[in-house]
Amino acid sequence: MSVEVLKTKAEQGLADQYTAARSGLPGAGNGWAEGLREAAWETYSSAGLPHRRIEEWKYTDLRALLRDAYPPAPALAEALTGEDVLAALGPVLAGLDCHRLVIVNGQFRLELSDAGGLEGKGEVFSLGDALGDPSHWLKQTLAQVNPPLNDTVVALNTALMTGGVAMRIADKAELGKPVHIVHMLTSGEAMSVTTRNVVVVGAGAKVTLLESYVSHGSAPAQRNAVTELVAGDGSQVHHIKFQNENPETAHLTSWMTRLGADVSYDAFQFSLGAAIARNQIFVAFAGEGSRSHISGAVLARGRQHNDTTMVVDHGVPGCESREFNKLVLDGSARGIVQCKAIVRKDAQKTDGHQMARALMLSDGAEFDSKPELEIFADDVVCGHGSTSGQVDAEQMFYLRARGIPEPQAKALLVAAFIGEVIEKVENESMREAFLKLTESWLAGEGEGG
Amino acid sequence: MLEIKNLHVKIADEETEILRGIDLALSKGEVHAIMGPNGSGKSTLAYVLAGKDDYEITAGSVTWNGEDITQMSPDERAAKGVFLAFQYPIEIPGVATMTFLRTSLNAIRKARGEEELSTPEFMRVVRERAEELKVSSDKLKRPLNVGFSGGEKKRQEILQMSLLEPTLCVLDETDSGLDIDALKIVAEGVNALRGPARAMLVITHYQRLLNYIVPDKVHVLSNGKIVRTGGKELALELEKSGYAEFGEAAA
Ligand SMILES: Nc1ncnc2c1ncn2[C@@H]1O[C@H](COP(=O)(O)OP(=O)(O)OP(=O)(O)O)[C@@H](O)[C@H]1O
Ligand SMILES: [Mg+2]
Repeated sequence: MSVEVLKTKAEQGLADQYTAARSGLPGAGNGWAEGLREAAWETYSSAGLPHRRIEEWKYTDLRALLRDAYPPAPALAEALTGEDVLAALGPVLAGLDCHRLVIVNGQFRLELSDAGGLEGKGEVFSLGDALGDPSHWLKQTLAQVNPPLNDTVVALNTALMTGGVAMRIADKAELGKPVHIVHMLTSGEAMSVTTRNVVVVGAGAKVTLLESYVSHGSAPAQRNAVTELVAGDGSQVHHIKFQNENPETAHLTSWMTRLGADVSYDAFQFSLGAAIARNQIFVAFAGEGSRSHISGAVLARGRQHNDTTMVVDHGVPGCESREFNKLVLDGSARGIVQCKAIVRKDAQKTDGHQMARALMLSDGAEFDSKPELEIFADDVVCGHGSTSGQVDAEQMFYLRARGIPEPQAKALLVAAFIGEVIEKVENESMREAFLKLTESWLAGEGEGG
Repeated sequence: MLEIKNLHVKIADEETEILRGIDLALSKGEVHAIMGPNGSGKSTLAYVLAGKDDYEITAGSVTWNGEDITQMSPDERAAKGVFLAFQYPIEIPGVATMTFLRTSLNAIRKARGEEELSTPEFMRVVRERAEELKVSSDKLKRPLNVGFSGGEKKRQEILQMSLLEPTLCVLDETDSGLDIDALKIVAEGVNALRGPARAMLVITHYQRLLNYIVPDKVHVLSNGKIVRTGGKELALELEKSGYAEFGEAAA
């Protein structure tokens, strides 16, 4: 016996959208793709949008936060040029030497991309196109990379995804340049966009993958983006996210990652924009001897809401995980870090540590940190910590005693605080770009003010 | 000139007075030393001059070049030429020493109505001053004071002073923690800045420093009051007899 739960306006809108769109979504007509969507829709609709009584979502109640479901973004409503893409990225990231893959309003756009054939070391194609005629590896991968149980946002993504990038990097390939997936939204009316990337990194390969999320205009938007990433044995992956969407955006991203043996995975997420941002990261260790170092920098002000939620799952012995997040919160911004580390019975010799630190620039800002350790093995080293505090008064006085006016002194100290985590980005151009963006944010530019 | 009149200071939010009526007049071109037992209020006086807001002035006045500085922010005072060499310089992880020096120097130049220095010009000046004070260039590449020894930090303070060329220099125990060679180098650095345009207040526990930086006057601060003032020979006397006699007088 089931009780019919009353749908919110947004949930009703999503249900109408699915009904209207399902026969026209990419992969319609292909039994496998349709099956995936149907199953995902079932999962989603049995629970609806997550709300505060769902433990993982207690700080980010989507039923309350999403009043409406915006209509799906028009696929090719606007003729964008390469210049528009660069403008949306902003001057500091536009100059990055990379293989650029551009997704506009949920569609992979070859003519705006410059993948350079991935130097002949891999393949890239449009996920939307591939759903109608899926290759063997895609069928074995999509929606199967460390899928979170009962996460209705990920399920909703599978049900409604319109496209994105499907990419495979060959075994032992070493890409000379980072791959940069640009997720863009055009200007226009309020819109929703649901994208999906699938990335398979071959054994022993080395790759740096940057995902940017930016807006071209100021239209209100709801974004649901998922990236599934498989890191083959012995691969080295740097996975970076940059989010600077307009202040009318609700940004939901989920990274689902599975690491083979002896993998080195370094992830970094830099969040500046959007009104509401939920950054989900799910990492599973599937092979021994791997390490995952995830760090994040959040700069939020005004009424911005930024929630980073991570689950790191140690299913095998001898792996190392680190999660290190730093947040600068001003105005009435709210920052959340939830990080759960699971150490399963067989995962002996696990070494796991997490730390979250917030720098509060105003009395109105709020920081919530929820570390969780679920340990079922006995020979492990695990720890967690979290701090929040204001700018150090002694340091402030020292700088001001040297003639540095208060706003500038504060900017130096905030930049130093967040710099510690940005320094973890290995790619120098990206690191410099993020430091510059921090400077301009501190100078009062950027979103969310 | 620096004029301190009947200065009473307590810690903000607390009752006990730390400075209990200080009078001191220090003219440009002069160097005055302040000596006194631990906890007598020497650093408090130094902080109050620099504008630290942990302290509250309950009575009296402080003027520098005829201007009341007590309502000015620390950076405004620095722009007016006030410089405090800290007894315990602060470590600031994540702020590169060069970035700091440059921001500080340019802020002060700007406040004085001077142009900012170009990068090469700035580099040249820093290198020159650092060499004089025997501060190695790898120290300048580190975050501000992070992991520096006590003596290294003190040298950084003097380097900053020589870059900023302040007109009122307050040195709070700059000699403690310095080895004999470093003491000479630092004293030379300080003496190089001595001149008719500059006033210096040198806080120290040791007469030895005053052999190098010869003061015009020595004040004894005890329990929040200046209990004696004399010439440079007073320091020698204190070295022999200690502060016992003032302990009584000040109680
Ligand atoms: N911020 C503060 N909070 C609490 N007490 C303070 C503070 N600053 C100074 N005091 C107290 O005021 C008194 C004077 O301290 P101050 O540091 O000025 O002494 P000092 O003469 O510099 O000593 P020393 O020779 O040890 O450096 C001491 O009793 C000290 O504990
Ligand atoms: Mg002292």
